[in-house]
Amino acid sequence: MAEVVATNETILVVGGGISGMTAALEAAECGKNVVLIEKNPSLGGRVSQLYRYFPKLCHPTCGLEINLKRLRGNKRIRVLTLAEVAKVEGKSGDYSVTVNIKPRYVNENCTACGACGEAVSAEIPNPFNYNLSKIKAAYLPNAMAYPQRFVLDASIIGTPEADKAKAACKYNAIDLDQKEEILTIKAGAVVWATGWKPYDAAKIQPYGYDRIANVITSVEFERLADPHGPTGGKLLRPSDGKEAKNVAFIQCAGSRDRNHLKHCSRICCMASLKQTNYVTEKYGDEGQSSIYYIDIRAIDRFEDFYQKVRANKTVKFIKSKVANITEDKATGNPVLHGVDTEGYHRYDNAHDLVVLAVGMEPNVDAGKIMPGGVVADVSGFIDINSTTEAVFGAGCASNALDVNRAVQSATAASLRAIQVVNRVSRAEV
Amino acid sequence: MTTQAVEKYHNDFLKEVEKNVEMGHMVKMCMQCGVCSGSCPLGPAWEHPPQEIFMMIRAGKRDEVLTSDSMWMCTSCYNCIVRCPRELPITHIMHGLANYAHRLGIAPKQNPTRRFAQMFWKNITSTGRVNELKLSVGLYFMDGIASGIKKGLEMLPVGLGLMKTKRLDPMGMVSGHGCKGRADIQKMIKKATEIEDKRKGYAA
Amino acid sequence: MADMKVGAYICKGCGIGERLNVAQLVNIAQKEGKAPIAREHEFLCNASGVEMIKNDIANEGVNHVVIAACSRRAKAETFNFDNVAVNRTNLREGVIWVTPADDDKKEIVQEMAADYIRMGCAEVKKMEAPQANPNHGNNRRILVVGGGISGMTAALEASKTGYDVLLVEKTGALGGWAAKLWKRVPNREPYADPMDSGVDAMIQAVSGDKRITVHLNSTVTKTSGAPGQFSVDISKESGGTSTENVGAIIMASGFTQFDANKLSHYGYGKSANVVDQAGLEELAKKANGGAIKRADGKEVKSVVFVQCAGQRSPKEGELSYCSGHCCNTSIKQAMYFKDQNPGIDAMVMYTDLRTPGNGEDFYRSAQKKGVIFTKGWPKEVSASGELKFKDVILNEEVSTTPDLIVLATGQIANSGVNIDEVKQDEPGQWASTPQSVLNMVYRQGKDLPQLVHGFNDSHFICFPYETRRTGIYTCGPVRRPMDMAQAIEDATGATLKAIQAVENASLGRAAHPRSGDLSFPSFRKEGCTQCKRCTVECPFGAIDEDEQRFPVFNEGRCRRCGTCMGACPVRVISFENYSVETVATQIKAVDMPDQFDEKPRILVLACENDAYPALDMAAMNRIQYSAFTRVIPVRCLGSVNTNWVVESLNAGYDGVMLMGCQKGDNYQCHFVKGSELAHVRMSKIDDTLKGLSLEVERVQTYEVAITDIERAPKLINEMAETINKIGLSPLKF
Repeated sequence: MAEVVATNETILVVGGGISGMTAALEAAECGKNVVLIEKNPSLGGRVSQLYRYFPKLCHPTCGLEINLKRLRGNKRIRVLTLAEVAKVEGKSGDYSVTVNIKPRYVNENCTACGACGEAVSAEIPNPFNYNLSKIKAAYLPNAMAYPQRFVLDASIIGTPEADKAKAACKYNAIDLDQKEEILTIKAGAVVWATGWKPYDAAKIQPYGYDRIANVITSVEFERLADPHGPTGGKLLRPSDGKEAKNVAFIQCAGSRDRNHLKHCSRICCMASLKQTNYVTEKYGDEGQSSIYYIDIRAIDRFEDFYQKVRANKTVKFIKSKVANITEDKATGNPVLHGVDTEGYHRYDNAHDLVVLAVGMEPNVDAGKIMPGGVVADVSGFIDINSTTEAVFGAGCASNALDVNRAVQSATAASLRAIQVVNRVSRAEV
Repeated sequence: MTTQAVEKYHNDFLKEVEKNVEMGHMVKMCMQCGVCSGSCPLGPAWEHPPQEIFMMIRAGKRDEVLTSDSMWMCTSCYNCIVRCPRELPITHIMHGLANYAHRLGIAPKQNPTRRFAQMFWKNITSTGRVNELKLSVGLYFMDGIASGIKKGLEMLPVGLGLMKTKRLDPMGMVSGHGCKGRADIQKMIKKATEIEDKRKGYAA
Repeated sequence: MADMKVGAYICKGCGIGERLNVAQLVNIAQKEGKAPIAREHEFLCNASGVEMIKNDIANEGVNHVVIAACSRRAKAETFNFDNVAVNRTNLREGVIWVTPADDDKKEIVQEMAADYIRMGCAEVKKMEAPQANPNHGNNRRILVVGGGISGMTAALEASKTGYDVLLVEKTGALGGWAAKLWKRVPNREPYADPMDSGVDAMIQAVSGDKRITVHLNSTVTKTSGAPGQFSVDISKESGGTSTENVGAIIMASGFTQFDANKLSHYGYGKSANVVDQAGLEELAKKANGGAIKRADGKEVKSVVFVQCAGQRSPKEGELSYCSGHCCNTSIKQAMYFKDQNPGIDAMVMYTDLRTPGNGEDFYRSAQKKGVIFTKGWPKEVSASGELKFKDVILNEEVSTTPDLIVLATGQIANSGVNIDEVKQDEPGQWASTPQSVLNMVYRQGKDLPQLVHGFNDSHFICFPYETRRTGIYTCGPVRRPMDMAQAIEDATGATLKAIQAVENASLGRAAHPRSGDLSFPSFRKEGCTQCKRCTVECPFGAIDEDEQRFPVFNEGRCRRCGTCMGACPVRVISFENYSVETVATQIKAVDMPDQFDEKPRILVLACENDAYPALDMAAMNRIQYSAFTRVIPVRCLGSVNTNWVVESLNAGYDGVMLMGCQKGDNYQCHFVKGSELAHVRMSKIDDTLKGLSLEVERVQTYEVAITDIERAPKLINEMAETINKIGLSPLKF
């Protein structure tokens, strides 16, 4: 591991998703030195696992390509992957950050030629596809992966599989002796952009995510729609691989619920509206989408998108929080039970597939890492108004945000961090 | 208690409910998601499911709510409470509404749940212990002798079976089957009723 | 500049050495590519390979480098050399990973690689290492237009970062809409009660900040220049104009409330019982914490808020969009009543209650306070104040008569003049207009382009600050409908971008998306025919015209897309490292087989951000396409000059494919119109084809997304199939 040069004029960005990448790039393009750390083996975060964005239906990898291009060309940013912050000590303008770096077992020599992947036969569940498919245990995390470098899964280390990988590599890129490393990085300010995780759908007991095969989550549905996902872009349901033409979307799966997440996750309405487009894209008039909702929260000009979906005759809207889901054993169809509250109509609707629009849970444990330095609200988001130290929440670590707002938030957080390091440099002049 | 003049979509009836109905102050917290209505196992039997009743209360539909037999359908399974995203104690509110309507004397007279509840109450409070035989027989004959005999005959094999295994004492029809300190229990119930009436503002 | 010396380095790693005759490629680089230094290496990207190149640069005078190895998207940091022109010839993703390893294909695959070596050497000789725009300004002061919450936030944040600020506000006081509020929606836990707007403290902070100069009762009457060197005229209402220099501009001109007089069916203007949200703030301010009274003095005992009044409406003259803040605002205003007197009846009538994030807590808090929420569709309000509506839950047509009805109307952006609708001033006849916010002396108009519904938003999801006027950033409700919390975040973000713009400008570098690009357009005036295509088509309004209609380039505003270069019919516009020549020379460098060889040549001009990565990823998945293909990445399809197409047809290419990104309303082009322009330009090429007696199928333009990993190779193979059917071009010599 090459040495990381960082001073108290360096900005440390934790999290390499779209918010973290934005915060890092914006600061670096203002002339600041940045260390960007990411716990996964590659950058891109959750948006890189989306098939399309709302409301333009464009592909997230397009923006990712631009960000990666900015990153590759910018010498002010140092990227550390497989890295997690263990501890933040010090004070505003003078932090010392302990970072644990897991072994990749592949060094900078890697050319991503793929020989190790071909040599290895062991497979692991593919986290990029939310484990809906398998991938070789020597793998490139995805086609857009940055760094463009393979990873050896820890499960094959010490087995003949690892030796096969090593033998296949002509470039001396596989290093089976790599150990976990601990680095200490100095930083003047920290941007905490650790993002979000989908709420654990199994906790919503009446929806049977853990019992009914054809009940899946919205993030999984993104992978099904993606031509490079586990089903090659076909909307095949898990139980029998049948094409899912009649799809139900359940809003507020975990959100706006005192039993689960009390906040509204903001993105899920738009995400489901977008996903009805996937159904139409694949099946045209033969597809059928039903959105079960409490309120459709298509804020500002997203309303245009909502109205477009409303005009699609294959999409139904039912104002109802679904009470529970049962499974029709004969067909494998999930059956939704509930009441359409607009005028009181009971329903027992069978669908091919049910997509739970799962809520956004902040992926923040900054409080544990830096006691007192970061204030989280009761939902667990970093409270940007209460941050007194120079640790700034950005993106979905600070609020339930869509991509556009997350980038806005990350840009703002980046400026706050710049202000701190500028104060440091002025003080030192 | 006088019947109040209710203006639609003003909060008079809601306030009345908040004051007089157990957990009535939670009615306003409903966000009309409908999960309670969908979760009720007796759902199809309801004319107005809970979430609709809450909206009717807010709309000031006093008579329609209080004379409705809907809240009498609640069997206290608590499915709705468990699932309500706003933590409304729906079961309690349903019973509270039923109780309030009953006290006002405008609950549907012929509603079988209401009648059964009354019968049950009378049965348990008179002796301090439920007399199942009396209660069942009373229930069978609730709608007249002919239907009572019919229902009784239908249940005869069950009754005989219970008798054989000594789960049913035919003497119960005549014996007291009471508990010890029956008078004291009645005193306690009387006092509790007084307290509740006072709290809810009913004239004793 | 020292004499040009080309060094060509051919990697044998990743299977290149096994699949290709590298010695022959080295030979081609030397003989045909005229590279005095041509070397092969087993593993070019490792330390010894890079060292070898560095050594040649340092000691052999190599200043033009051809790296023939993997795609330019791989190992970019490794092959990053300062002050030399670099070409990345793509033998891995571009040749061996997309072609079969069969022996009988060996010849055509080798030819493919050889052509790429020829193209790489040819290109690099026409390139110079970019030296940054010399015509740059160093002014670092930030102009903020608008003194509301957004503008004041921007000013304070810029000051905090160490930058001077000029703040121009057209009214006599700072504060904007926020100053008119009794309280604001809370932005912190427990999200339960309205809170102080904080606007007074902010005004004080701005007024007391030594870095911030405030101009009240003032407007911007002229803006010219470029990032780092803007010149602005600030005119006082009372007369008098001063000219100031600034480095970047933040436009925070805010919004105007929708005119509720258009909502007479809701009784506005007819019934004294109907106000809009702004009207209610006035009443609340007047009440000062006491009982809120109507204009006629009657104390309000019951109030109904009608959401989406004149918004989310398909009606002509009303707003089709949602203003985002109004649900929370009505909740807050309902609390004004409930907090003062819990006995007051307050109802919010909504279609969808939109309180995202922790707004849900605020919604719950209002319910707890006894505010009633009804899903209802308002029909009309009579003169007597009776509101007729449909209760959607109870499915009934009903009515109610509260003491007061509040209409939640929407925000309209103060975005100045719509430059797409007004005629632009001719050069030399420019005059300022009072409707304009910035009064820019730009050939393409006085204000920023509007996106939808009059807002000056960015089109991009990943890049909210991807402005179409470099160095000028909008924030707050002029950009998009928004609430105060978002406006503050937005203004803070815009401030960073403004600071970044001045920093980049001072280094002569490009702004996003080609951030850091040091190249800049230069133009040969002698050849120019004053056709104005470049000034019209520049997506960023970077090119003005002088009085003789010659283009005037403002390099600092340029984003280096090359759209002007593609537009120019006489090919007088170029960049140091990207020009009509750099591509044309590659087209010509290909060794064209004669007509009887039965080896067609397909030229693909691929957008470097979408189509090229898609082909790269196809290669990573070993998806094959015709080995007769020669791909040239372009900055943007908008930079494709039709001359390239004509030249290639003349040179004997059998097919030409242009791959750009999605065009139209949901365009994905980060240079706005590049793909669209290319489609338009190519639609006119049919006549040229007919003139050459060629079939029109030979030239095709496609929209290709970065995810088209299977489709892009398929399109190429289809073109190969088409050529197979219609036969080779007769223009081979």
